[in-house]
Amino acid sequence: MVTQVFEIIGAPILAFIIGIFFLGLFRKIIARVQWRYGPPIIQPFLDLIKLFHQRGFSHGPIFDWGIILSLTGSIVLILFIPFGGMCALSSSGGLLVILYIMLFAPLWFALSGGEGANPNISIGISRKFILALGYEVPFLFVLLTAMSYYKTISIVDIVNAQENFHWALFSPLFLSGIAYLMILPAILGVRPFDIAGAPQEISSGPAVEYGGRYLGLFQIEHAFSLFIGIALFVDLFLGGGGNPVTFFIKMTVVFILVVFIHAVFPRLRIEQALRYLWRWPVAFSLLGLILVLVMR
Amino acid sequence: MILEYLLIIVFGGALLTYFLGKISSKLRNFFAVFISLTLIAIISCLYGRPLQKSYFHFLNLPLILRLDPFSWFFAIATQTITTLSIIFSLSYMKGKERLNFYYFSVLLVNAGMLGIVLSADLVSFYIFWEIMSWATFLLISYNRGPALAAGMKYIIMSIIGSTAMLIGIISLYVNCGSLNIAQIASFITQASSGYTLFILIAFCIAFGIKNALIPFHTWLPDAHSEAPTPFSAVLSGILIKMGTYGFILFMYAIAGLSVFLNLGGGSFHYILSLLAAITIIVPTFIAVLQDDAKRLLAWSSIAQVGYIILGITIGTSLGFLGGLFHFFNHAAFKALLFLGVGAIEYRTGTRDLNSMGGLIKKMPITFFCVLAGTLGLIGVPLTNGFVSKWLIYKALILGRHPFLAFIALFGTWGTILYSYKLIHNIFLGQLPEKFKNVKKIPVSMRFPILFLSLVVIAFGILPGIPLKVINTIAASFGFQPQNVTIWGIASETGVLNMVNIFAAISVALIFVWFLFRVGEKKLSIAQDNNYAAGAYIPKDKYHYTVEFYEPLFRMIKPYFKDFADEFYLLLVRGGRNLSDRLRKIYCGDLSFYITYIVLFLAILIILKLGLKLW
Repeated sequence: MVTQVFEIIGAPILAFIIGIFFLGLFRKIIARVQWRYGPPIIQPFLDLIKLFHQRGFSHGPIFDWGIILSLTGSIVLILFIPFGGMCALSSSGGLLVILYIMLFAPLWFALSGGEGANPNISIGISRKFILALGYEVPFLFVLLTAMSYYKTISIVDIVNAQENFHWALFSPLFLSGIAYLMILPAILGVRPFDIAGAPQEISSGPAVEYGGRYLGLFQIEHAFSLFIGIALFVDLFLGGGGNPVTFFIKMTVVFILVVFIHAVFPRLRIEQALRYLWRWPVAFSLLGLILVLVMR
Repeated sequence: MILEYLLIIVFGGALLTYFLGKISSKLRNFFAVFISLTLIAIISCLYGRPLQKSYFHFLNLPLILRLDPFSWFFAIATQTITTLSIIFSLSYMKGKERLNFYYFSVLLVNAGMLGIVLSADLVSFYIFWEIMSWATFLLISYNRGPALAAGMKYIIMSIIGSTAMLIGIISLYVNCGSLNIAQIASFITQASSGYTLFILIAFCIAFGIKNALIPFHTWLPDAHSEAPTPFSAVLSGILIKMGTYGFILFMYAIAGLSVFLNLGGGSFHYILSLLAAITIIVPTFIAVLQDDAKRLLAWSSIAQVGYIILGITIGTSLGFLGGLFHFFNHAAFKALLFLGVGAIEYRTGTRDLNSMGGLIKKMPITFFCVLAGTLGLIGVPLTNGFVSKWLIYKALILGRHPFLAFIALFGTWGTILYSYKLIHNIFLGQLPEKFKNVKKIPVSMRFPILFLSLVVIAFGILPGIPLKVINTIAASFGFQPQNVTIWGIASETGVLNMVNIFAAISVALIFVWFLFRVGEKKLSIAQDNNYAAGAYIPKDKYHYTVEFYEPLFRMIKPYFKDFADEFYLLLVRGGRNLSDRLRKIYCGDLSFYITYIVLFLAILIILKLGLKLW
């Protein structure tokens, strides 16, 4: 009981620290790729402190509650994801609940943005949903493959089955693993799939009206979503981690890979993204599913 | 005895409502609400009391009424939704013409539905089925104009279904000699599998048409969007589920679990599941393309019916639980959504999604209710839709149907797309100038939608209450009972515990709320303030709603047409051409007919003479 309470409190805090660290690392690596020195690695955290000191403005009740509930959804989701041997809510519904709570954050975020009248918001939301529809197809195939292969819907069981370096990435699930890597930039919303945010084009899309505390909460939400997307990959394909340290190292490796992709690619248009997502990742993940079904 | 009284009350109430309306409209309204509330009270008192009663003899066949957990569950859902719809009608229909007729028809539909779920033999089943179908036709075409065409489309398909059912009933009577459901069930166990298949297909056509299973769905979008809105809620919430009732009755009560699952080498139930999967995916994406709020909800109804049938036909205990629970949930949130859209139509006079926006400022309660309804529709955790969909997905994954599970899960993303479009285009964004003076809705409209949103949320946190009833139903059909607790479900293959999720969400919410409250107080400003950066901008609409998913639209439009509808229309056109040709011969002019007769006689004479000559 005491360990569970500790895990429930500890997991979101750890996720917060790692997510904010990733945001700093992100800016640093991009700067170095572009031959700049870059900001200090704790800059996103300093930004947060600044943002929480500024005055935010609101367009109405759902504008506030949307962002609050969106962040709530992300925090709850983190409780369901095993993190190096700790999983606070391991026995409450498994991977299916994770899939569903993953809808929570973007949906409430979109509802919050919807209260504004800025055209960039509606463009961004429309793009976000279409993009999500795009990567959801291969994503669902990947998750179903994992669930069929390990014959469970519990993500903790999937992690346990990969103990002693029986990583799913080097098992018949490797095709699904490749498919997940192919859609990971879309899940995290980095280039070439930063279509919904698109800073230079639609001024951060749904987040354009946020300022002060709202922007701060949005940054935390962004950090959490980075954590969730990568932690899920590590859990499903890289065998989770015996302790939080190895888990963190695995996450960092995957994240740096994603940042390199972000650094070199230009942004796609939404149709191009949809066409790409429904072609190669779907082909790989579908092949992976058929392979697993034939083998079992 | 009480079952007969139940039917007498509802049929008599319908007639009496009509005649009371001749005296005073207030009395009529009061009486209609009174009758339906009485029926709710009676039905809820009958919980857990199995009853059976033979009430009439027709051609030496006893006509029987019975009540068991299965029919009780459908009866209470039917009566609740109809009652709420009648209460909603009080202000929605005020000032419309032919109101006596309207209330009479609604109560008649109610009577038909109660009769269907209570009858224990196929003669009464068929009679009540027809009463329901025809009364529905009267209500769909109530508004005249395009509603007449929609009603015609509905009744033609309904008659085709009834004919298929009648063929099945006659064949059963000839072969079995009895139309009592219990006796048919024992007859089917000895019958050849080919005959069972024939019977099931005949009845599945009838139920599939009522349930709008693809490819029999084409009547539904027109009928749902043209019917008076309170009745659309009944239509979508409960009336089309009479098909679901029939499916379950014939699959599990008559054919039986093992016979049904082994029929055609196990392929029959799998084909039905595939049809259900198609019914999920195609209508979901057609719904994304709609601009009329009620039409969007109508297509969404078809898609949700797909989930119900998928859960039921997969043939496992979890799937059955999920399917039947989803029936109940869909009745709640789809009725809620139709009534919510009706409330908006009542105040704004439009249901065109492109011309609204910003109504959250004028109708906050309606917004809250419609939001609860769409969250249930998507199946967000802590709403009832989540639990039923979770059960269906889990049944599909554990039953080794990953592709069906994929379709069900992917349909959920499509659901998000159209649900968000519904909420955003009506309530969020800017308020158009013409809706500046929109008032809140009256109490008789507010009560039904608030009640239904309470149901959506309460049974999302405490799903055990309806699941316990459903579990007894499942056990009576030979399914392995699940370990249902009040918070969720605890089986050996995985646990769903809503109280944990509820607690986690509450704690996280409180934490984030405190985070939100620290620091400077927030400032409430006008919508265009930040966008214009303090400069003057003309008063105009800036957020965009028209063709909200345009890029997706361009990609999927060629593939998501209603092919079944086009095929039927082709048949209709062919039939009409044939009739036109025939009409040239049968032109209705007497002199032509006389010419035909004379010519015919002449040919006869020539033949006769010719034969004689030879």
